[in-house]
Amino acid sequence: MTSQMLSGVNVVEIAEVWAGPFGCSLMGDLGANVIKVESYPRKSETRNAGDPRIDPRVAEGEGPIYERINTHHHGNRNKQNIALDIRTTEGREVMSRLIKWGDVLVESFSAGTINRLGYGWDSIKEINEKITMLSLAGWGQEGPYLGRIMFGVGFDAMAGHSLIRGYQEDTPEEMIPILHSDATVPLTWIVAVIGSLMQREKTGLGSYIDLAQIEDIAWQFPGIISEWSMNNRIPKPQANTDACIVPHECYQSAGEDRWINIAAETDLQWQSLANFMEHDEWSELGHPWSSIVGRIKDRKLIDDKINEFTKKYDPFELADQLQAKGIIAAPVLAPPDPLMSPQLHARNWFQIIDHPYIPERLLGGFLWKVQPDMPSWDKRAALVGENNNDILMQLGFSSTDIAAMKEKDIIGDTYVEERT
Amino acid sequence: MNQPLNDICIIEFGASVAGAACTKTFSDYGARVIKIEPYDGGKLRRIPPFKNDIPSINSGAFHLAFDSGKESVIIDFSSNSGLEIIKELYKLADLVIYDLPPSNIEKLQSVLDKESGPSTVSITPHGLQGPYKDRIENDISTLAWTTRMYRNSIENEQPLRNAPESTLVQIGHTAAAVGIGIYWGHHHDKIRRDAEVSGVEAVLGNVDTGFVSWVFTGNLPQRIGGQLKTRYPTGIYPCKNGYIVLSANEEPWFSRLCIAIGHPEILKDQRFTEFREDNWEAFMTYLGPYLEKHDKNYIFTHLQKHGVMVAPVLNASDLLNDSQAIARKSFIEIKDDKNGDFHFAGAPFHMNQINDHSFQLMAAPELGMNTNDVLGEIGYSANEIIALFRAGVVG
Repeated sequence: MTSQMLSGVNVVEIAEVWAGPFGCSLMGDLGANVIKVESYPRKSETRNAGDPRIDPRVAEGEGPIYERINTHHHGNRNKQNIALDIRTTEGREVMSRLIKWGDVLVESFSAGTINRLGYGWDSIKEINEKITMLSLAGWGQEGPYLGRIMFGVGFDAMAGHSLIRGYQEDTPEEMIPILHSDATVPLTWIVAVIGSLMQREKTGLGSYIDLAQIEDIAWQFPGIISEWSMNNRIPKPQANTDACIVPHECYQSAGEDRWINIAAETDLQWQSLANFMEHDEWSELGHPWSSIVGRIKDRKLIDDKINEFTKKYDPFELADQLQAKGIIAAPVLAPPDPLMSPQLHARNWFQIIDHPYIPERLLGGFLWKVQPDMPSWDKRAALVGENNNDILMQLGFSSTDIAAMKEKDIIGDTYVEERT
Repeated sequence: MNQPLNDICIIEFGASVAGAACTKTFSDYGARVIKIEPYDGGKLRRIPPFKNDIPSINSGAFHLAFDSGKESVIIDFSSNSGLEIIKELYKLADLVIYDLPPSNIEKLQSVLDKESGPSTVSITPHGLQGPYKDRIENDISTLAWTTRMYRNSIENEQPLRNAPESTLVQIGHTAAAVGIGIYWGHHHDKIRRDAEVSGVEAVLGNVDTGFVSWVFTGNLPQRIGGQLKTRYPTGIYPCKNGYIVLSANEEPWFSRLCIAIGHPEILKDQRFTEFREDNWEAFMTYLGPYLEKHDKNYIFTHLQKHGVMVAPVLNASDLLNDSQAIARKSFIEIKDDKNGDFHFAGAPFHMNQINDHSFQLMAAPELGMNTNDVLGEIGYSANEIIALFRAGVVG
């Protein structure tokens, strides 16, 4: 059984992609009861593969493609699943009972959509005044961008992040789109909803939380904003360098496309590195590189020397040796490499997951450990509508009601495949 | 002000970004955070930028942003006298956050009451056990272990990090999430818990890593630069006065885009309906002229009206002047007599019961400014505090 900190907290999810669903999985890891109300009959966005011939997100297996997409699996563990058309009269009745059951409702539609669907805060609190409702629209629930839509790559671009994380000489179109907000917004909203539950203990009432993803990601980058607002400078791409630290770089290693990060943040670390490279003179008083000022002046020359050195070594072995000397050093891992980490294995971090349509997989583990009640992967990502019957019975619907809903295609457990 | 986390008292140990970002999430919403700092102020206070490029221990942007609303207490806990103070301080705390090497955490936990003391969260690069537990890492070397540097880069070119310190911020966020979880649990089931966040595991186990994709499907992510040319258009594209980012490679957004740029015929063109992966250059003969003709704000407004996922690529100046940010008061001007005025991000979320855009960013404390008050609060007399100061235990 997983951790029990949030035991008794009921979460209803009507959210798409990652920032909502992944946070709900983390709530599940913490012990909350999470019910995912999955879009039906339209597929969830994370179940939408492109052409499977070229879409790298689809795992090999026998079942429907929409059950074999990694973007869906990773954000949906530790939940039950009901696939429901929430736009229908019967679907509204199911939602109404779920809202009465819930302590938390998580939605991630574009601003305004949830109101148009009839599930705005004014309606929700009429059904359950104690519930916390979280909205995750990218730009929040008000303002001139009301209703606009975007994935995490857009918030990264608008927060100024896309312009600073590239190669120094490249133009922005070379920048790889990343989804940093999808990784970090869930962590913020967990604090928000538990904070709201704490507020409920004082007031007896639930809260409405408006989290604009662009604001949360901007909160995380004080360096970008303050470089401008304190000193009128627009930060430029600095790749892996640090203006105040040399060496601080990603260097080539032996092997194809292998790399190692090395940094010496203090004179002492630099002394150890120079000694390791059999150049003690670089750190002796009088040598220009013995001081951080001299090292910054000769950044390129030093980086070239280190690069010549590191090219001869395997990055994992070299990092082991440098770390033993007290130097910051880490190999750059390609996707298969974590499986070779003695640290991750020693900590039993990986999880073995079984699934009806995919051969057994060793997946990445949890974001934290907790004593005495460790998180566990009690429920793999549910198949679409896998728990329809259980959830509806729990909400007081009869077998006849459920059969009628299935007959009218209000609930379901399969999607129409658009591509095969 | 009535805030949701008013009832929580947190002790933060460490002087780095992750712990500070963690407890900042709590202090923004009313928690009392007592930050135990070393005499030299530690790393966080030394990270640039500084106002007018004049460095000082109390004026770094990261310190001012992430230590806002906290109390600063200097204690050297390497001595028994220091540990005795910590033992008393724990009695004030509901939650303790450690951002320190494992050996220091072990020492600090040796004076923690394991029965009735507060719950704890330990933040370390690799965790509290295992062969790498004593390794020292920074923002970028931690990221290197998570496959995200690999995913952020182009094949055979140098792997790339994210914004400086952002990995440590993410790790701090992770500690905040589990921290509030164990606080809630402790409050309700009376079970004291010890959580630990390994920075590598926190990022590697999250979404958006190359590992997640590979371990599930066996496919390595494509590392071909910003604009995917098989599943397009997605990525950053130049326009008349800058850049925009598009995410319109899948339906319904692809169809909407084609209609919005005035080329619905693309949707019936076999090059794009059957063989899209081979025809990126042909597609750009339609999209390219539209982008060249229009500026980023027009494209943002026009394509969004058609339901296309697009956003302008902004720099910090653009962002502060963005109409949405102004309307929502997303950034707060800090009036600072000593350091001069500047802006920081405001509240990361708004809760209708407490802070509808009335969020106030509290000042960050000067190093050690609360030492005397906090020691007095836990029962030390004036003479005892003087003795501890003279011994170099507090400052």
